[in-house]
Amino acid sequence: MNPSILGNIGLVLAVFFSVAGLVAVVFSWFLRDARYVRVARRSALLAFLGTFVAFGALEWALLSDDFSIAYTARNHTSASPTWVKFATLWAALEGSILLWALLQTLYTWLAGRRMRDYWTSPVALGTLFVIQLFFLVNVLFVINPFTPVPNPPADGPGPNPLLQNHWMMAVHPILMYLGFVGLSVPFAYAIAAMVTRRYQTWVGETKWWLIFAWGFLTAAIFAGGWWSYEVLGWGGYWAWDPVENASFIPWLLATAFVHTAMVQERRGLFRSWNFALVTLAFAGTVFGTFLTRSGVIESVHAFAGGPVGPIFLGFLLVILAVGFSLLGRVSSEVRDVGSVNVWSREGLLLFGALVFVVMAFVVILGTLFPLLVEATSGAKVSVGAPFFNQLFVPLGYAMLVLMALGPLLPWRRADPETLRVIAWMAVSLVLGTAVGLAVGWTLWVSLTVGLFLFNLVALGWLVASPLARKSRALGGVRAGMGSLAWTRRRYGGYLVHFAVALTALAIAFSQSYRLDVQKTLQIGEAWQVAGRTITVHALRAVEDPHRYSVIADVEISGMGLRQPRLNYYPTSRTPFASPSVAYTLGKDYYLVLQAFDQENAQWVTLRLVVTPLVLWLWVAAVLMALGTAMILWPARRTARAGAAAGEVGA
Amino acid sequence: MRRWLWILVFALGLAGAQTVGNEPPPDLPPKVFEIAKKLRCPVCRGESAAESNAGVTEEMRRQIAEMLAEGKTEDEIIQYFVDRYTEWILYEPPKRGLGLVVWLAPVIGLGLFGFGLYSYLRATSRRAAELEGVSDEELARAEAELGRDDEGGPPS
Repeated sequence: MNPSILGNIGLVLAVFFSVAGLVAVVFSWFLRDARYVRVARRSALLAFLGTFVAFGALEWALLSDDFSIAYTARNHTSASPTWVKFATLWAALEGSILLWALLQTLYTWLAGRRMRDYWTSPVALGTLFVIQLFFLVNVLFVINPFTPVPNPPADGPGPNPLLQNHWMMAVHPILMYLGFVGLSVPFAYAIAAMVTRRYQTWVGETKWWLIFAWGFLTAAIFAGGWWSYEVLGWGGYWAWDPVENASFIPWLLATAFVHTAMVQERRGLFRSWNFALVTLAFAGTVFGTFLTRSGVIESVHAFAGGPVGPIFLGFLLVILAVGFSLLGRVSSEVRDVGSVNVWSREGLLLFGALVFVVMAFVVILGTLFPLLVEATSGAKVSVGAPFFNQLFVPLGYAMLVLMALGPLLPWRRADPETLRVIAWMAVSLVLGTAVGLAVGWTLWVSLTVGLFLFNLVALGWLVASPLARKSRALGGVRAGMGSLAWTRRRYGGYLVHFAVALTALAIAFSQSYRLDVQKTLQIGEAWQVAGRTITVHALRAVEDPHRYSVIADVEISGMGLRQPRLNYYPTSRTPFASPSVAYTLGKDYYLVLQAFDQENAQWVTLRLVVTPLVLWLWVAAVLMALGTAMILWPARRTARAGAAAGEVGA
Repeated sequence: MRRWLWILVFALGLAGAQTVGNEPPPDLPPKVFEIAKKLRCPVCRGESAAESNAGVTEEMRRQIAEMLAEGKTEDEIIQYFVDRYTEWILYEPPKRGLGLVVWLAPVIGLGLFGFGLYSYLRATSRRAAELEGVSDEELARAEAELGRDDEGGPPS
């Protein structure tokens, strides 16, 4: 047995059981026999195990430095540290699709376990089987990582050095794929709902999966931003790179859908639109994969081209065609009824969703615009960060206003009681903006401060008032028992909203007040800059098995010794600058070693980037993850624990 | 053997990193990066001339610093790069001609989807008005069936 044979056996089994599952759900659908769904569920588990065997085989080859298969021979080196060897599995095209397939089969199995409706589950499961088959067939036949190499090399070139430079590379892709792949479950339920013409209940059934996937997408985007900040050495966290945009588009559409799903659940409205949103969100994940694997763009994320690009484009078109042709029928059948008061919870939820959809539209158009212009007129244009930053300011403000007001208002009607709160919010908005302007911040930053306070007052009232009301009504005793889980979920939502407001604040300050400067210093020389003294103490070299590093020992007054470095990898002609970041609650001091004296080690050239409030982005990310976890935590356990403990709350 | 390899790599790497021998690169004041941020890196995608560490952009930053030292204004410096590379070097599209389309994206999106939302809401409320005759009791029952937003955990 060797990794090549084992991996192929795993893949063949996975394909076999996926087909078996697909056949079973087809039988179940046409014979109207629920027993076949059970067969399909077992096949889903076996398909997952098969893919897991293939995954294990590739890890085995990587960890044992076996260069007899194509993937390791091309992307691996025995000099890598163990964690890099492990993460090398998703550092290149073939392995990353294998990881995708693994997570897809996992989701299919887990989602299948939860399907109880024998009417819709054959279609939902069938859709998931088709999706996973697409990935598995690709890994097995088109980009098989286990292809034996005739003359195995003694060692390989190793993964892209940029991906070895930080441990986040082991985490960020998995989070991203968990988010991307997770959106396939709501999509599958939507297809099932459209086929079986059960247009209402699917959003409730799939909400948990939707928020689960949304949480991972959010975490992945923040993790990617932090990785970019820590590794790329330009002092920023978001560059509006086409691939970043490609991950942002499904996030925006999923966020819109999270909100419109509530409108459908509660009021039975927006049913056709939700089918469109979930189809577009899932198609967006495939679009991102297409961009990174097709060679259409070049970036940190791009993998080598090959046949995969057109295949993914075809898959994307199939998804859109299936989703929208079914939707055509839905929209002629679905006649939503209900008047919507604009000044109500659902009114604002719909407007919020509108803002997110417009944001997605701007990102899609901005990302594709250079390609469109070049294809039609041959002219070249650049659509970069300054463009997106300017357009996202007004859209972001609209979002901040709506997200504060939405949760305050009751369903269906405007509430006179909340008008007083809104008055206080308006006062805090004006005050915050005025104080900001008085301090000397720009209008945009001051407005963001005002809107942050606007949100804070709203959330403060939401958190404080039900507690106060409840304790008044029930003497504060049995207040929560029945609705404990419900309260927790609501507070989870508030926490996410707070974190979004915090993110907006951090973005406004860090984008507006960034200081970027470069200077050459002699060893021992002190540099007065940005209120600190920066002294270079020494320049030294360190040799690791997999790289060579030049390190500058630089002291920032009051912040200790920092060690920006340049890492040299054998596969790359240019060195990779590893910045050193001194995080503080106020400003981050970000040092990059730009160049150094190679002959006498007498001087170093440092780039210093001072950016305010960046730390709060990472705090906001943690809060968002916590809030999402609060929403997702299963309710039954809490309820059961409460019941078992009797009236412990007393 | 490995050490020898490293020395070779090291030398190659340095050749890439520092284009002008062992001369230290120039000091760059903050203004240089502010201007460079408005220009694209000609050889990369998704990076401005301030962010990229490509040789071309290092040269661009050096030129910006020189022109600033000569007393040129920001507009003159940007014009210099536009003359050399065409408008493509600007990191945002021009706000005229075809470029206007992408600048108006939020307005187009808002008009398109806003109109969709508006006509949707008008249609549903018209239908609701037609159903005025429905009793409150029936409405409440329908509401109870729909209002299941407290459900948690995976769907079962």
